[in-house]
Amino acid sequence: MKYSILSEGDEEPMDPVRKNEFDSEACGSIAPKAKPCPRPKPGEAAGGCSFDGAQITLLPIMDAAHLVHGPIACAGNSWESRGTLSSGPSLSQYGFATDLTDSDIIFGGEKKLKDSIDYIAERFAPPAIFVYSTCVTALIGEDMDAVCRAAAERIGIPVIPVNSPGFVGSKNLGNRLAGDALLQYVIGTGEPEPMSPLGVNLIGEYNIAGEMWDIEKLMNSAGITVTSRITGDARYKEITYAHRAKVNMVVCSRALLGLAKEMESRYSIPYFEGSFYGAKETTYSLRQMAFLMNDREMERRVDRLTEREEARLSQDLRPYRKLLKGKRAVLYTGGVKSWSVISALKELGVQVVGVGTNKSTEDDVRRIADRVGDDTEYIPEGGASRIIKTVRERKADIMIAGGRNMYVAMKEQIPFIDINQERHKAYAGYEGLLRLAKELTYSLANPIWKLAASPAPWDKEAPPYDR
Amino acid sequence: MSKDELNIKDNTSLFKEERYVQQRENKKQFEAPCSEQETAEALAYSKSAEYMEKNFNRQNVVINPHKACQPLGSVMAALGFEKTLPFVHGSQGCNAYFRSHLSRHFKEPTPSVSTSMTEDAAVFGGMNNLIDGLENSVALYKPEMVAICTTCMAEVIGDDLNSFIGNARIKGVISEEYPVAYCNTPSFVGSHITGYDAMIKGILSYLYTRSGIESKPGSGAESGEKLNVMLGFEPYTGNFAELRKILAAFDTKYTILGDHSGNYDSPATGEYEYYYGGTKLEDVPQAANALGTLSLQKYTLKKTQEYISGTWNQQISALSTPLGIKGTDKLLEAISELTGLPIPASLTEERGRVVDALMDSHPYLHGKRVALVGDPDLLIGLIGFCLETGMEPVHIVCSNGDVDYNELKFKDEAEALLAASPYGSEATVHVGKDLWHMRSLLLNDTVDLAIGSSHLKFAAKDADVPLIRVGFPIFDRHHMHRYPIIGYQGTLNLLSLIVNTILQQLDDNNSGFNFELVR
Repeated sequence: MKYSILSEGDEEPMDPVRKNEFDSEACGSIAPKAKPCPRPKPGEAAGGCSFDGAQITLLPIMDAAHLVHGPIACAGNSWESRGTLSSGPSLSQYGFATDLTDSDIIFGGEKKLKDSIDYIAERFAPPAIFVYSTCVTALIGEDMDAVCRAAAERIGIPVIPVNSPGFVGSKNLGNRLAGDALLQYVIGTGEPEPMSPLGVNLIGEYNIAGEMWDIEKLMNSAGITVTSRITGDARYKEITYAHRAKVNMVVCSRALLGLAKEMESRYSIPYFEGSFYGAKETTYSLRQMAFLMNDREMERRVDRLTEREEARLSQDLRPYRKLLKGKRAVLYTGGVKSWSVISALKELGVQVVGVGTNKSTEDDVRRIADRVGDDTEYIPEGGASRIIKTVRERKADIMIAGGRNMYVAMKEQIPFIDINQERHKAYAGYEGLLRLAKELTYSLANPIWKLAASPAPWDKEAPPYDR
Repeated sequence: MSKDELNIKDNTSLFKEERYVQQRENKKQFEAPCSEQETAEALAYSKSAEYMEKNFNRQNVVINPHKACQPLGSVMAALGFEKTLPFVHGSQGCNAYFRSHLSRHFKEPTPSVSTSMTEDAAVFGGMNNLIDGLENSVALYKPEMVAICTTCMAEVIGDDLNSFIGNARIKGVISEEYPVAYCNTPSFVGSHITGYDAMIKGILSYLYTRSGIESKPGSGAESGEKLNVMLGFEPYTGNFAELRKILAAFDTKYTILGDHSGNYDSPATGEYEYYYGGTKLEDVPQAANALGTLSLQKYTLKKTQEYISGTWNQQISALSTPLGIKGTDKLLEAISELTGLPIPASLTEERGRVVDALMDSHPYLHGKRVALVGDPDLLIGLIGFCLETGMEPVHIVCSNGDVDYNELKFKDEAEALLAASPYGSEATVHVGKDLWHMRSLLLNDTVDLAIGSSHLKFAAKDADVPLIRVGFPIFDRHHMHRYPIIGYQGTLNLLSLIVNTILQQLDDNNSGFNFELVR
C-alpha cells in the first residue's frame, strides 16, 4: 500500500480472508461458545441486565413500537436514555409500559398487555410491536408468547415477544436473546423490492452518535449497498428481508455473532467480524465486504477509495499525531471496542497501558493480545477503584471508558473520553478517527486539568496527583 | 491548527446536505405504508380534541411515564447517611439504571451495588446472593453501614431480608454489630418518592431501635435544643445549602436526616472516595430527643413522619417544597414555632428584596399560562409560586400524585390552592396521568410555558412551548441542581429562570420592528 498511516514498525495491513461454510479455518468461523455469558458477581456495582441488553439491541428499530411488560421501573428508568439516532421515525423513543401494579401481579397482567398492544396498534399504527418481558412478568408466569401470537392475528401486524427478563443474566446475554427474537420472528418474513440492489447486512451496529451514517457513506462511495441495518437506524421492513443479503458483517461480535452464524447455516450468507474503529480496521472491513461479494470491480473501487481516504486522513492527522505520540491510555470498554479501539489508538500514536476484558469474548481477548504490548495490564473486573488504580500505576494520561465511570474520572482529575453508548461523538471510519484524535487532544490539553491540579494560592500542600 | 483543516460535520449539519436529504426521502418507503398526506392527517388528528378524549380514556398502557420506581428513591435516601452503601437486592440491571439515572442528573458518581440475582436465585431464593453480596461489597467498598432495598424480583419470590441478614451474621460474613438497615420497595407499588420514604424510615427506625435510647422529645441538655430537618427526595443540592443558610440565620442547632448533598456535590480533590458527607449515624438516635421535626416534603415523607410523631412522639411540621414568598414564609414560621426563636431580621430583609425583584418582573409574568409536571410536593410549591406572580397554572400532571398525608389528598390540596386564587380558575389537576396525556393537553389548550423535568421536552417541542427545567430528572442541562429553588433566594433563582426565558423568547420571535434594548 502506497500511503500507509501505520506507525513505523507496525505490522502490514491484513489481507481479506476467504470465508465459506466448509472452511473451518476461515475468519469468524469459530462458533460462539456454548458456555453462557459470565454470571454477574453479587455485591459489585455491575452493569446492565439482560432486559437492558435486549432493549439496546432492538430499540434502534426506529419505526417499531417497543412495549415493556412489567412494573414501571424498567421503562420508567430507561426510556429515551440511549444515544442511538434516527434519521426519520421516532416511535422507538416513546416509553410504552404496562405499568403493572400489585393487583396485576396477583391476578396476572395478560389482559392489560393485550389491551396495551391493541391501543398502540390502533393509535400509533407501527409496522411491528416488540414486547419485552421483565423479571416480574417472567416470575409470575405470564404467557407472553401466546398473548403476542393472538394479538398478531387479531391486529394483523407482527407482535414480537422478547423473552429476556433481567434476571437471566448479563447485558450481553440480552443482546443474544434479542438476536434470537429477530431470527425467530423477523428475518425471512419479508422480501425486498425487486429493484433494490442487495449488499451487506450490518449486524451489531447501533448508530450511536450517528456512526452508522459515516459507515454507510463510505460503503456507498465504494458502491456497496446496505441491505439491512441490524439495528442502528433500522426500519422494521428492511430487517424482514435481511436473509437476502450477500454478506453479513458482524460489527459487535459479543452481541450478535450467533445471529450471523445462524444466518450462515440457514441462508448460506457468509459473514465476517470487523470493526470501523481506526483506519486499518475500516480498510480491512471494506475490503472484506467487497471480497466476499465476489465482485472484482467493487474490490478495485474499494482499493481506490481506501487508498485515497487513508492518504487524506494521514495528512489531516499530522498535527494531532505530533501531540498524541507517546501518550498513554487506559481503555475500559466491552465487546468489539476492547480490541478495535486499540488499533485506532495505536494509529494515533497512543499506547494502551491498561485494557478491560470484563465484557470481551475469548476471541476478543485474543485480538487484544495481538494488538497490545507485553506491559499492558488486563483489567478483568469492574469497579471504579480498580480502573483508577491501573491509571495511577501505569501513569496513564487518559481514561477511555463508559458514562458510568466518567464522573469518577472527573473526581480523580483524569482526562476522559466517553466511548460507550452514551457518547455524543461518532468515532467510526476515517472521519471518526479524526474526530477521536480531536477529542483526545481536547481532553488532554484542556486548561482545567492544570487548574484542578494546583492548590489554592494560599494552600501550600501539593496536589494529590502530579501529572 | 485551524478549524478549516477539520472538515468534520456533526449530524445536525451533515443532514442538511442534499445527499442526506435525498437519502431520507428514499428511506421513506420503509417507514410507513401510507402517503405523506395520511401521515400529516394522523399527526393532525393526534393533536385534536377528539384524540385527546381517546387518550384520556386510555387505561392499560403508560406512554412516557413521569415517575421512577421505589428502589431508585431508596438509593438516594441511603446516600444521605454517612459512609452508607446502597445495596439493591434483585437482578443487576435495576441497580445499573439507578446509578446512571442519578449520575446523569447530578453529574456525579453514584456508589451503589446489587446482589445480581439470576435464574437460580429466582428458583431457590436470593439468600446466597445477599450473603455473598454483603461479603464482597463490605470488602470492596468498606462502608460503615449497608442499606438494603428490594426490587420487584425479590418481592415476587418473597425473599425475607431480615432473616437473610441474620443468616449472614450467623455465617460470620458480617459481625453481629455491623449495621445493616433495610426496607421493602417493590416497583409495582408506589414510585421513587415512596421508596425514598421507606428507606429513610427504615434507617431511622433501625438505628434508633438498636441504640436502646428511649426518646424524650426536647430532653437532653445538648440534643434537646436541636431541630430535625428532612428535605425528602431532593434533586437540588443547592436546596440543602439554602436551608442551612436559613437555619444558620435562626442560630438554631439542627440535624438533617438524610443529607445526600455531600455525595452529590463533592469537590474535585483528585481522589474519589465513594462517600462524602451525609447524616452521621450516631446523630440518628439522638434525633429522637430533638424538639421537633421539620419536613419539607409532606407527601413524600408520609411514613417517616408517622414514625417520628408516633414512635419518637415528636412534634412534626410537615410542609411541601417551600417555593415562592408565601411558601418560604410558612417555612420560617414553622422553624420559629418549633424552636421558639424569632424570625431573624436578615431574612425579613431578604424577603423584601425578593418581593422587589418579583415586582420588577411582574409585567412579563402576569397572565402567562403555564403547564406543570412534577412530584406532588414540588407541584404544591410551584402552584403557589405561579399564583403569587400572576401566572396561571392551566395543566397540572402528577403521575405519582395518588398519595395523601393526614387524610389530605394531593389532588384535593392542589385544587383548593388553585380555587383560592383567580389565577387558578382555569387549572385542572391530573393524577396518575403520563406525559403523553400532557402532550394532548399542551396541543389542545395552548400555554406559554411548560415547567417540568427534561422528560417533558418532547411534548413541549411538539407543542412549541418553551420548557423551564425544574425537578427530577434534568439530564440535558448542566448544574441546574446546584442552584437552590427553595427559600427567598431560590424564589429569586426560579424567577430569573422564568422571566429571562420569556424575555429571550421575545427577542427570538422579534421580526425587527420592535427589537428593544430595555425591558
